[in-house]
Amino acid sequence: MRKLLLLAAVAAISAQATSFYLTVAGLGGEPEYDQRFTGWASDLNKALAGEAGAKVELLSGKDATKANIQAKLSAIAAQAKADDTLMVLFIGHGSYDDIDYKLNIPGQDISASELNDALNKIAARQTVVLTTSGSGGAIKKLQKDKRVIISATKSGSERNATVFARFWVEAFRDGSADTDKNQTLTALEAYKYAKLKTKDYFDTQKRLATEHPLLEDTGKGEGEADPSAGNGQGLLAGRFPVLHLGSASAIASTPAKQALLKRKDDLETSIDELKYRKAATDQPTYNKQMQGLLLELAKVQASLDQ
Amino acid sequence: MKSKSTYVVVALVLTVLYVGDEQRWFRQMGASAQGPAPYLECEKLAARADPGARACYQRLSTSRDPWAKAEGLWGLGDGNGASLAFAEAVAANPKDPARHVRWAYLFLSTDQNNDAKEDMEAALKINPDYAPAMLGLAKVLSESYDGKAMEWAEKAAKADAKLYQAHELMAYMHLEDNNPEKAVASAKEALQINPEALQALAILAAMDQMDDKPGTEWLDRIFKANPKYGEAYETMGHFFVQNRRYDEGIALLRKAIELKPNLWSARAELGIQLMRFGKEAEAHQQLESVFNDGPKPSRVSVRNSLKLLDTLVKFQTFETATTVLKFDKKEAALLEPYYKAELDRAIATYEKKYKHKIQGPIQVEAYPDHADFEVRTLGIPGVGGILGVTFGHYVAMDSPNGRPPGEFHWAATLWHELSHVYVLDMTQSRTPRWFTEGVAVYEETAIAPDWGDRMTPREVAAIRDKKLLPIAELDRGYIHPSYPEQVVVSYYQGGRVITYIVEKWGYDAVLGMIEGFKNRKDTATVIKDVLKVTPEEFDAQFFPWLEAQTKKTVDGFERWTKLLKDANEAGKAKDWDKVIALGTEALDLYPDFVETGSAYTMLIKAYTEKADKPNMIQTLEAYAAHGGREPAPLKQLADMQTEAGNKKAAAAALEKLNLIFLKDEAAHQKLGSLHMELGNPQGAAREFGAALASGTIDLAGTHYNLALAYRATKQNEKALEHVYQSLEAAPSFKPGLKLLLELTGQ
Repeated sequence: MRKLLLLAAVAAISAQATSFYLTVAGLGGEPEYDQRFTGWASDLNKALAGEAGAKVELLSGKDATKANIQAKLSAIAAQAKADDTLMVLFIGHGSYDDIDYKLNIPGQDISASELNDALNKIAARQTVVLTTSGSGGAIKKLQKDKRVIISATKSGSERNATVFARFWVEAFRDGSADTDKNQTLTALEAYKYAKLKTKDYFDTQKRLATEHPLLEDTGKGEGEADPSAGNGQGLLAGRFPVLHLGSASAIASTPAKQALLKRKDDLETSIDELKYRKAATDQPTYNKQMQGLLLELAKVQASLDQ
Repeated sequence: MKSKSTYVVVALVLTVLYVGDEQRWFRQMGASAQGPAPYLECEKLAARADPGARACYQRLSTSRDPWAKAEGLWGLGDGNGASLAFAEAVAANPKDPARHVRWAYLFLSTDQNNDAKEDMEAALKINPDYAPAMLGLAKVLSESYDGKAMEWAEKAAKADAKLYQAHELMAYMHLEDNNPEKAVASAKEALQINPEALQALAILAAMDQMDDKPGTEWLDRIFKANPKYGEAYETMGHFFVQNRRYDEGIALLRKAIELKPNLWSARAELGIQLMRFGKEAEAHQQLESVFNDGPKPSRVSVRNSLKLLDTLVKFQTFETATTVLKFDKKEAALLEPYYKAELDRAIATYEKKYKHKIQGPIQVEAYPDHADFEVRTLGIPGVGGILGVTFGHYVAMDSPNGRPPGEFHWAATLWHELSHVYVLDMTQSRTPRWFTEGVAVYEETAIAPDWGDRMTPREVAAIRDKKLLPIAELDRGYIHPSYPEQVVVSYYQGGRVITYIVEKWGYDAVLGMIEGFKNRKDTATVIKDVLKVTPEEFDAQFFPWLEAQTKKTVDGFERWTKLLKDANEAGKAKDWDKVIALGTEALDLYPDFVETGSAYTMLIKAYTEKADKPNMIQTLEAYAAHGGREPAPLKQLADMQTEAGNKKAAAAALEKLNLIFLKDEAAHQKLGSLHMELGNPQGAAREFGAALASGTIDLAGTHYNLALAYRATKQNEKALEHVYQSLEAAPSFKPGLKLLLELTGQ
């Protein structure tokens, strides 16, 4: 896991890599929802403003038409390379008719199949975030190898207006969403943040939850509410950066510190391995080994920071 | 008991509690003796616990007459079979009101009060002068403490001069109203009609025993007429429980089932009371016995209580010499520090104030599932309204997580209930409801002016319409309200009465009244002895005092209503200057209105639109000071104070929120940071601990902050423990790594 994360960090700082973002805020149906959807989309764009080298596109209101969405995706397809990343976020109301999912937009709605066709033409790694009602119904149509799909609902039959989008956007503005503190918010971290906040929202309001988010990144699963090594979901999302919070990787470009970086990476890998063995290790032994590794890691980091 | 003021249904709930819902004697009584002849024979045998009763009912249960069959099956405890047979009986003779009445009693015995009411009304539709149906309807209505129950009982007594049960029921209700004179008069009327009116005798015996007299005269008469009449002790137990003399009530219930082991209603009530006092093993045993061996289907309260006993296993207990705290395991870590601090503070305050020390620990339980809390306290869920209940030294209450944020102030509820613990202990539970509730309401705002319930439009209307009760009759407002809101209005009135007494005679007068009630004096006597005025003189002074205090709001109520409406319209038109003008006037007229749609909300919105930060802060502060409980404005106030550099005020706003709602991870994080900046690492540690207990996603950051807080309090071992936990979650977290080196001296 650690090695993969490091790879992701390196990829993120590559001078060649570009982060593409396309946010679509669909029809609200009522002024309150229209305002809410465009507000969330606009908040996300503000959070992405500092993302170096990012290409951020927003379609909302009357501009969020099928033709415009397809045109934007075609334009990205023309530019994006395999090392690049693309995060597509759909905010609004969706529907599912047992065959296909549709996003409610001005004019003709766009279906999951049509989105899939457009996305398949893009070489970049992709995270597709469908925060609408009924979005669970889109997973089957959109799933693909090396594509992360996140839906606000577990199926197409959860039809109530959702709040997941609000918390997905909040993850980009709340530093605590970066739970491993590596200064990179991954799709998995943002998903976990939004999922927890959505659950808290319904718990706090004493309302029955009408949305249950899922993540699918294996290209063949049903989607999982709690992605983990156990169910095989979340690996790709865990190394898919959606926002960089600092300049954590600046040191990596300093050749003199490569040995220390190598040692640091080894220690972090050992820590990850130990964590995976936690259940099979007695607590005192685990604590002793973990503390030893962390202390050594602290010393290495101190040397790197000098 | 602490109620949620905005719940209209509270009237029902509050009164149910003090009566208990299991032991109303008429559930088992033939009541009007209208059944088929063989049934009357069986009933006589059953009343005397004669072993021949079962055989009698068995014979009836095989009868071709569906009514007789229904009575037989009912007598054998087969409620479902009996109900089917009653359906046949009614179909066979739909114009016979007696069949409807008996069927209604069957429904009443299984908590199906609505069905019972429908059948009693059906009987009255057939024959509007049918006295047994009038009595039956009175009984059904009295189950829900409907003020009309007394009217129907009176009608029944008039319709049938020999219907002594109607007088018994009136005596019962009068005693529930804490009106012993009327209770005695009704009981004696019943006895004049029938010298063996056993419930009338039981009520008189209960009154004697509550006055610490043996009641032998009445008991001898009861047991001479029926040596196995356990119902007498059941009724007596009911009144002891109603008057919060739980130990004696439980002892009487035990006597009831010793005398008549198959008196299932008494056994169920005993189980429920034992459960309330933490005697869970015995409670389970008694309730299971009712469930397995009693009539089918079992009462809802029995089934629910058994389920609750299973739920209680999931609770975590925290004990000290003076306190026992019980929380659901899933929220125990979050709640315990806050409850412990408030409980300790309340005990210390009350010990000094009441000059009294409670012997033995005080137990507080908090239920995240309101339905569990209701079962714990009432036996049945779904009636809503109550927030906390005290049984002796036991307090059960909603957890702060048991209701949507802002619905109630858990700390005020805790202090309210704790006040009951002291007042009931000091008076040995010999206090009228109005007094103990009045003191408890008073204490809520005595500890903090922004805590207690505000004067709502309901109270404004009651004052305007002169609906408040004279002091000598105030108890009636709690037990048998004559209009739906009267219970909560009476809570308000009780609180104001005590406030007035404290203002005019000083707090020692309250202590003097406690002493008076302890010595079994009634309200009128205590008022005269302690305040040196008659109850009428007291009313003549109190009402003008209250009216003067509330005059501006009461007189301006209509104007205020219009102002709010107009301000709302102005808001829709985005005319913010108009909103400010109207809202400001509305606030001036009625500053205590802090509910949804208040002038505060409108003003905050208007000032936000005008980017008028000073006025926003001022309005938010006024909202908080007047008892506003919505988390969003309190958090907004904290954010604005933080932005303005007033960290102390920001922390105060979030501390206020902590006493209302606790499961707010972001608020705990903010308050923790504020405490650190204000040099209060202990407070910071508590808050970061609460953030962890709230299920933060940011484990690394929160453990790190906890480590910093512990380091600041020189608790390096704890600091180290948390920095390791932080780094375990996020090994590359640089500040954590740096702190680790510092803490380990490397």
